[in-house]
Amino acid sequence: MSQASLQVEHLTLRRNGVAVLDDVSLHLPAGQTLALIGESGAGKSTLAYAAMGLVRPPEVQLQGRLMVGDVDVVTAPERVLRPLRGVRMGMIFQDASAALNPCFSVLSHLSEPLQRHRGLSKAACKARAIELLASVGIADPVSRLQAYPHELSGGMQQRVMIAMALACEPQLLIADEPTSALDVTIQAQIMALLLDRVRALGASAIFVLHDLALATQVADRVAVMYAGQIVEEGPAAEVLNHPRHPYTQGLRASAIEFDAERLQPIAGVVPPLSAMPGGCRFAPRCALASARCSAEKPELAAHDTVRVACWNL
Amino acid sequence: MKPDTQPLALPVSTARTAPTGSNAPTAHQALPLFSLLDVEKSFPVDGGRRQLRALDGIRLTLQAGESLALVGESGSGKSTLVRVMLGLESATNGRVLYGANEPASFSAAQHRRFAREVAYIYQDARGSLNPRMSVAEVLAEPVRLHALRDEGEIPARVDELLAMVGLPTDVRHKFPSELSGGQVRRVAVARALACEPKVIVADESVAGLDVSVQAQLLNLLRDLQRDHGLAMVFVTHDLGVAAYLCERVAVMYLGRIVETGPTREVLQAPLHPYTQALMNAFPRFDAPLSVSLQGEIPSASNLPKGCRFRSRCVFASEECQQTDPAQMSYSALRQVACLTPLTPLAAVVPA
Repeated sequence: MSQASLQVEHLTLRRNGVAVLDDVSLHLPAGQTLALIGESGAGKSTLAYAAMGLVRPPEVQLQGRLMVGDVDVVTAPERVLRPLRGVRMGMIFQDASAALNPCFSVLSHLSEPLQRHRGLSKAACKARAIELLASVGIADPVSRLQAYPHELSGGMQQRVMIAMALACEPQLLIADEPTSALDVTIQAQIMALLLDRVRALGASAIFVLHDLALATQVADRVAVMYAGQIVEEGPAAEVLNHPRHPYTQGLRASAIEFDAERLQPIAGVVPPLSAMPGGCRFAPRCALASARCSAEKPELAAHDTVRVACWNL
Repeated sequence: MKPDTQPLALPVSTARTAPTGSNAPTAHQALPLFSLLDVEKSFPVDGGRRQLRALDGIRLTLQAGESLALVGESGSGKSTLVRVMLGLESATNGRVLYGANEPASFSAAQHRRFAREVAYIYQDARGSLNPRMSVAEVLAEPVRLHALRDEGEIPARVDELLAMVGLPTDVRHKFPSELSGGQVRRVAVARALACEPKVIVADESVAGLDVSVQAQLLNLLRDLQRDHGLAMVFVTHDLGVAAYLCERVAVMYLGRIVETGPTREVLQAPLHPYTQALMNAFPRFDAPLSVSLQGEIPSASNLPKGCRFRSRCVFASEECQQTDPAQMSYSALRQVACLTPLTPLAAVVPA
């Protein structure tokens, strides 16, 4: 189990010469869940895709180490990675209706990983598919096997995708915005299901989320990303309820709650990756920014249980 | 992008007359903007053998300057209700009134006036903008169409509209593809303001945005609504957004309004178990995530007998299987359609 945790060391990912991920370091202990949060363009999804080995040279240039268990995804060739995807790590995509193939039935979707990785017979695939559908809370799984994606609701499609990702019992589950297309009621069901399944497998999970309150409740740890860098990382409740980095504080003040008086959005916008400021990348939007912030890049430093990259602490 | 709105040049006479003919009761300032009287909307399915009842007995009014949130899961009929209000669908039964008239019987002039006074912000803001029109052209079109300014004043009006929604004037020559998601939505809001409306109808206009951009847009909409006396109908599945933007909320389930009242009161002590369940599903910083509702919303083409929420209701009794609860008044401002509504006391105890 310990081999499935994620260990990222000084990972830099460049696309067309632009650093989409800049010197990212992160450690996810086995059996824990991590939420990646931050605005669009922060690199959350890129980091998640990189961990699956889905963004690779020559499309991008990678430096540093990205260990999933004992395999370094940065250097491992495709023939090593292919048998791992779906087996050691499973992926749940944001838009289930786009991720499922409209021409294939639920049974075909679930059989594919079972045949490829486990070599199961057709009959065994079917039996396992029924088990999997039941495990993700689909009532009457037998009758759903022959359904096509368009015959399922958004929540059902998401459940099928979870069943696919879990088919070979991965030790690391990566979910990119798994509930952003769903109603809050279904979101609660799907997140509870994901956590339940991850715990049942003793697996680790990475959730890319944009809902801060949701992250507080579903993740053990959270990493806040801004413009390709991690700016704050630590236990979820500590980071989100007592944010130390001005960016995390800004996100928190923007988040809606029932008794919100007035939301305080962060001023300005994320600068384009091709024109990143030197020093702290958040400095142009930060109320606390000083001359040092624009000149020197702050490194992640420990503050109690949390790591924060800010000169003003 | 400043979240603060600039002083804006909207005519703020909320008591303008309803868009009626010459025999209109112009003195009736309290006449609601919209009145929906037992509105039903059915769609034929299975080649007409069955009916999908998207709306069933909707009773609702919208006063000038009022903000109303329509809340519920996908499939509850929120968007159909909005389409019926806008006259994009005709009601199968019941009456929709704008002022004193039915949109179906509008004259051409009344129609034009309705189109100016009721602005719609589409869910897919980018898809609602013509990709070949610059921002300036998008904003000038309604001004020109409704002859709200002389031709020479239009460029200044475009700049004014951009300032209202907190966009820099240099976006006027950009095309939608050159704008970010947040900017595109601001343009959609500016276009809605361009025709100087009385009512803004917005369908999930802040969904899928980053929290910071969403907060900017929510502040903008709230300020526009409050400072300029605009009425607003806001469709959302997010109770937090409803609470932030709207004074009044109507919670919908399977084509019915199951609870309505002042947002603050409803959220403090919900009466309908569905409202309570929606609230509990809303992620909180200070309480664990709760799976408050099992299963999914049933199909509107096969409505359950009795209360339509009973299949998912933890309080459902024998009686709920038999009796379809009618909308009942709980107080002057609050109505609920439930045989055994949660009392305010029971509401603080988690279900």
